[in-house]
Amino acid sequence: MSGTEVRGLALARARLSSFDRQFSAEVGVQQPDRYRLLDALPADQARIARGSGASYVAASFGAQSVSIDMRSFNRLLALDMRTGLLCVEAGACIGDVQRFLLPLGWYLPIAPGHPRATIGGCIAADVHGKNPARDGTFRSLLEELQLHVPGHGLFNLDARDSSGLFAATCGGLGLSGTITRATLRLSRPPRALALRRVLVDDLAQAARVLREAANAHVLYGWHDSRPEHFGRGVIHVGLSDDEAIAPAFDASPRRDLPAHIAPWPLSVWNRGGIALANAWLSQRWRRPGIEAMAMAKALFPLNDARRYFAAFGRAGMVELQWLIPHDQFEAFAAALGECVKRSRPRIALISSKIFDGLAHGLAFNGRGISLALHLPAPREIPQYAFYEQFAELAIAHGGRPNPIKDSTLDEAMLRRAIGPFDAIRAELARHNPERLFGSELTRRIGL
Amino acid sequence: MTVVVVGASSGLGRTLAGELARRGHGLLLVASDLRDLHAVAADLQVRHDITVSTLALDLAGEPDPGARIRAALVGLPALSALLLPVGVSRGDDDFSLSAARIGELLAINLHAPLAIVHALLPDLRDSRGSVVLFGSIASARGRGRNVVYASAKRALDCLYESLRQTHAPDALHVQLYRLGFLATNLTYGMKLPLAASQPADIARVVVARLGKGSFAHHLPRQYGLIAWLMRRLPWSLYRRWRG
Repeated sequence: MSGTEVRGLALARARLSSFDRQFSAEVGVQQPDRYRLLDALPADQARIARGSGASYVAASFGAQSVSIDMRSFNRLLALDMRTGLLCVEAGACIGDVQRFLLPLGWYLPIAPGHPRATIGGCIAADVHGKNPARDGTFRSLLEELQLHVPGHGLFNLDARDSSGLFAATCGGLGLSGTITRATLRLSRPPRALALRRVLVDDLAQAARVLREAANAHVLYGWHDSRPEHFGRGVIHVGLSDDEAIAPAFDASPRRDLPAHIAPWPLSVWNRGGIALANAWLSQRWRRPGIEAMAMAKALFPLNDARRYFAAFGRAGMVELQWLIPHDQFEAFAAALGECVKRSRPRIALISSKIFDGLAHGLAFNGRGISLALHLPAPREIPQYAFYEQFAELAIAHGGRPNPIKDSTLDEAMLRRAIGPFDAIRAELARHNPERLFGSELTRRIGL
Repeated sequence: MTVVVVGASSGLGRTLAGELARRGHGLLLVASDLRDLHAVAADLQVRHDITVSTLALDLAGEPDPGARIRAALVGLPALSALLLPVGVSRGDDDFSLSAARIGELLAINLHAPLAIVHALLPDLRDSRGSVVLFGSIASARGRGRNVVYASAKRALDCLYESLRQTHAPDALHVQLYRLGFLATNLTYGMKLPLAASQPADIARVVVARLGKGSFAHHLPRQYGLIAWLMRRLPWSLYRRWRG
């Protein structure tokens, strides 16, 4: 690789690992901290933008690509307090942005659970937040974006862009260029939330509660994963309550979940550990009630999950997340319950959400109920087999997978699950004709 | 009052600008690329609601950077401090550089600080302000690497002494920080013998001491001991050292 003549070019070799620890590779990493350094690599050098590296899957690195670490591009460029438009660089962490905005009476209503996810990453993955049925996905906040393409420089794009580049960039997994900045539409946050717990006996009942509460600010379910209690749980319904007095909450950056969590030497999520954790959470949450919660706490629930993720050990974890259409969900849930009783997989966590949007490209959206399952990385064949059984069940019930979470997906699976997969791939290739952009994730799923 | 930060778009300069803005100082930020300057200035204005002016200046090719900065200060509140966290090093600065490359390194690391200090000295004297220079541990003793860079940084020690020798302690505060390894683009990807310090930690110290006398310090402080040991290493041993 040449390019060292550009003053300030910083390049390193580093071993990078995905958050779920299923992929790691030694790759080149560039750390541009000035705009001219975006052009410092040779124009034909394969690359992929990288934010904090908090993606579950290897979305920001690949063996053949230089990762462009965008964390220096983290500046707030303009804030219109009247209209609620924020222009911000792509490397800004969503947690920092929310921390800045909340005291001013604004916030981004759609934020992933990890506070270190960057704005660029949220766009490239078209992430969802605490209630996608109410808020949609991140693209719904996006007014404009700026993209850097080697050899062509910086492009400003908005939703009226007729080339398709704007649309391809939202949820485009970084294949259309390096996102450098974005203008986002903010919302007024509730001062506090009243978080109500609604008990459910199974997943079918959970779906009904989710549909009834679809307009809540925060809406997600936790479900017991033990075969004998499979699916019973609690739906957290967060409603705006300006009268509520939330307990004092430390929202300082030092509480943020790190992008990389040092794993414990061994996984705690064996059958005994999972049974204990489910019993404890059932005891804690399976009680009807209401508690006041600060918005800052509700936005980033993963901040309390450091030990939970460390407990997957060095082998890491896998997240399976599929969205099942409403009319198929009850049958899917029943079949899944049977499957779990039969195969008895080790599932550390099950959560549910409701979606009510339109699926664009490969983004995780549509109309239905999503289930996310966290499983310790498998060492036994039955655990492997469960991945396939789960995916087959989901496909049989019209499900749609989340490529940005699930490291078990491959091209064949996506082609079966997403009808227009080949058209989506062709559209992404149209904006990446020289295959200049690519990651381990995009290689695995055949983009 | 206005503080001038030269090299404000990246590394320590950007962090210093942020720390100064946090404490409410008005700023004139100088760096080579207007795009970066606009981004830094906008961020500081949005976050801290302060007055920030910018000047795009390529120190490698500007014959009189001091005059350009002085012109940019016209109309701004009086100058209270000049911070010069400028510096660039090269991996091939090992007696293999061309004359043009040597000139570029000297222009940024030495000519620019000298010329800017010369031009702004009258204003700084008027306000009994501060000049803050940034040296490097690399200049503790000459080696076969960073030849030009270390020479230029060593020369800043001379500039520091000249300023102090010329000005009474209450007329001008002259501060020289000889920096250890910093986690910036200058050291990114390098295997360093000691952990690099965070620019934010350095910036907090530097800004807190603005206007508080004249001195030359190593930062972090342990580099003072390292420099002392390096200088006292017998030549017969030192010349064999390739670390």
